[in-house]
Amino acid sequence: MWQFIVRRLLISVPVLALVSLMSFAVIWLVPGDPAAVFLDAGATPQQLAQVRHQLGLDEPFHLQMLAWYGRILHGDLGRSILLNRSVAAAIVERLPVTLSLTALALAFAVAMGIVAGLLAAMRHGGWADQSIMVLALVGLSVPEFWFGLMLIFAFAVRLHWFPAGNFVPINVSFAGWWQSMALPAFTLAAVQMGFIARMTRSAMLEVLHQDFIRTADAKGLPWSVVVARHGLPNALVPILTVIGIVTGGLLGGAVVVEQVFSLPGVGRLVIGAVLSRDFPVIQGTLLFVAVIYLLINLTVDVLYAVVDPRVRLE
Amino acid sequence: MAHLTRRRLLQAGTAGVAASAAGVPLAASAQTATPKRGGTVTVALVQAPPSLDAQLTSAQVARDINLHMYETLYARDENAGVVPDLAQGAEVSKDGTTYVFALRPGVKFHNGKTMDSKDVVASLERFRKIGLASILLSGVDRMEASGPLEVTVRLKKVQSNFLDTLSSPGTPLAIYPAEEAAKDPKDFKFIGTGPMKFVEYAPDSHATLERFADYVPNPNYTRRDGFAGRKEMFIDRAIFRFMPESGARTAAIKTGEVLINETTDGPTAKQLAGDPNVQVLKLLPFALQIAKFNHSQAPCDDVNFRRAVTACINAEETMEIAFPDIHKLDGGLVYGYSPYYTKAGTELYNQNNQAKAKEFLAKSKYKGETLTFIVDNTRPPTDTATDLKEQLGQIGIKIDIKVADWPTISTLGFKPEGWHFWTHGLGIEPYEGPAKLMSIWANGISQTKDDPNIDKLYADLLAELDMEKRKAIFAQFQQYMYDNAVVIPLGNYGMFQVVSSKVRNFAPYRIPRLWGTWLEA
Repeated sequence: MWQFIVRRLLISVPVLALVSLMSFAVIWLVPGDPAAVFLDAGATPQQLAQVRHQLGLDEPFHLQMLAWYGRILHGDLGRSILLNRSVAAAIVERLPVTLSLTALALAFAVAMGIVAGLLAAMRHGGWADQSIMVLALVGLSVPEFWFGLMLIFAFAVRLHWFPAGNFVPINVSFAGWWQSMALPAFTLAAVQMGFIARMTRSAMLEVLHQDFIRTADAKGLPWSVVVARHGLPNALVPILTVIGIVTGGLLGGAVVVEQVFSLPGVGRLVIGAVLSRDFPVIQGTLLFVAVIYLLINLTVDVLYAVVDPRVRLE
Repeated sequence: MAHLTRRRLLQAGTAGVAASAAGVPLAASAQTATPKRGGTVTVALVQAPPSLDAQLTSAQVARDINLHMYETLYARDENAGVVPDLAQGAEVSKDGTTYVFALRPGVKFHNGKTMDSKDVVASLERFRKIGLASILLSGVDRMEASGPLEVTVRLKKVQSNFLDTLSSPGTPLAIYPAEEAAKDPKDFKFIGTGPMKFVEYAPDSHATLERFADYVPNPNYTRRDGFAGRKEMFIDRAIFRFMPESGARTAAIKTGEVLINETTDGPTAKQLAGDPNVQVLKLLPFALQIAKFNHSQAPCDDVNFRRAVTACINAEETMEIAFPDIHKLDGGLVYGYSPYYTKAGTELYNQNNQAKAKEFLAKSKYKGETLTFIVDNTRPPTDTATDLKEQLGQIGIKIDIKVADWPTISTLGFKPEGWHFWTHGLGIEPYEGPAKLMSIWANGISQTKDDPNIDKLYADLLAELDMEKRKAIFAQFQQYMYDNAVVIPLGNYGMFQVVSSKVRNFAPYRIPRLWGTWLEA
């Protein structure tokens, strides 16, 4: 197991090198100058040149790239052009918001998605199955920004149950944090919930038609026990794969949801950086997100072996 | 500006939307109302500021916060006139190259220190060294603290806009304590002399300021006046919350989580006009919409072609489409309240004369080629470009619109090739006045090609200390711009601001000013 983990981590290094190279090159190909963001339309070319020089943007491509790799090897993601502070610090101070949003959304999506999928599989062909699948399809189809605004309108403006966009850190007040996170997490989970429900249903339907399930049923075990003890564990591998993909999707969706709910997370940082061509922040966050994705994939691979001893990681 | 009730709005005949403008004096009811101290006001801003160091940013959103914390030697009054703020005044030598500033005594920094001339010199030197618009002080030869409360600045040559520059809210020449000015910018503490002091900044979330208890409002003034005047704080605390999503800002003001929404769109403004819990106010003018020609590219290098285009334009239609309910037809290149405002040349504004346009077009170099119109991807400029394309299509000018985000378009627009037309707004330049506005076309910056006539008028303006003569020069400039169709002025546009009815005596201005406002219990 440990050998597998170490090997996977070593394989990740060239992947990360490739990601960082691509992120650096792509940004150079994208039109637009971060220096222009500092200036208004009436600025002079001299002012533009001055800002470019101050920001080090007048250096040749290869020198900037070498400097970028040199910094990465020292664990330094660079300095934000717009925020005038270290990229790592900018990510770290926003990370708790994004991680807690993603974790809460994942908890919602997994819990409700699996329950809904199980219910649909157990009531296969019935009205419950049909209703759940229609809801799952709706969840998959609705854009997050629209769904988020509808939730704000219903639960913040009309019912006053939740705030419209006032983030409270968990260390300030757990109740306040929960209130400020519930709607964004549910918005983010809605799409992925449908995805997990559909996968759980289809995996369970496949398993429930296996001989060992029929045997367990024939032995007289209650159907709920058959499903919980024999059905679900055997359907978990494809569900785990989906959860791995979903977690990545949640990180992507967090960008939109943070914007709608005014949450100060990494997604807001990325959007601001892209709009202002804050190259170091874009590069730093791309690299950071790539690391997260690699860790998620590694975790999912390890979990395969945990839930299914037939899988031999070595 | 007085608190405006819905009834008064309807009486004003503005379909429930309050008419208000910078430069309008305080209404009688507000002057007689009794201000109340205390409370917290949450202001929704559209994005987070790049920096709270005023000297290092020209972002509007930074200005919204920073101009509550920092002050400048001179500032702008309600009509953008230049008036003393931290300075008592200035003596200017006869040759116009030496300014001796007397500083206001007893001004405290937020760290408790009393401001003196060393702080002022250190701050101006810092700006000259690392300020975002350090070029503004490029005409300064040297500065010195010539007394405890006296600063002497010597210019390399006459620069009639020197006080305009010192008072610019664009990238403010904020005065900091000397010890803070000496620090590396990353270690700078946000300490100024303004009526509010820094408390907390949560990245991408909010900035919190609180009333500076030791602040002494400028005794030379009796009322709020632009960025200057009497800045009296009644509110204890302000939270500037960064909320990029318009729907979320509207929801937050409806729930009362936010008391001031910096800006909203027209349909939302109309919808909220019926809500008794909020006031919808108009900030107009906020910017001047223009369409630029690239004079380096044929056929825009041909005055007959440019005249054909300007003769054809129906600015009224364009402004109605791009800025419905929040525009004003005005051909002036500075705002109507400016002492430099002139009608010179404006008979050529909003001509909508296709026959005349076709005559000019026939005499021009245009041969039916497709021309490139660049525009950033926000709604009003895109609508502007689309309508202008339609109008010019009617006289046979073919246009291809290229839309991209602001960094892409503005980078392209600085270059002499790749575009023929570019439309955008000018917000702060028409506000700051002739020198700032003319600088956009001086040295061929905006038209990408030198125009010796404009350069001469600009140089004349900078060398002229007499205001009446400067007015005449600016009128000449505006006449020249119209006669030679250097640019197409389309009109002024504004923005809607939404304010809770709990907030009293709020007046729309170029930032959501909190001094002079208070909360109703």
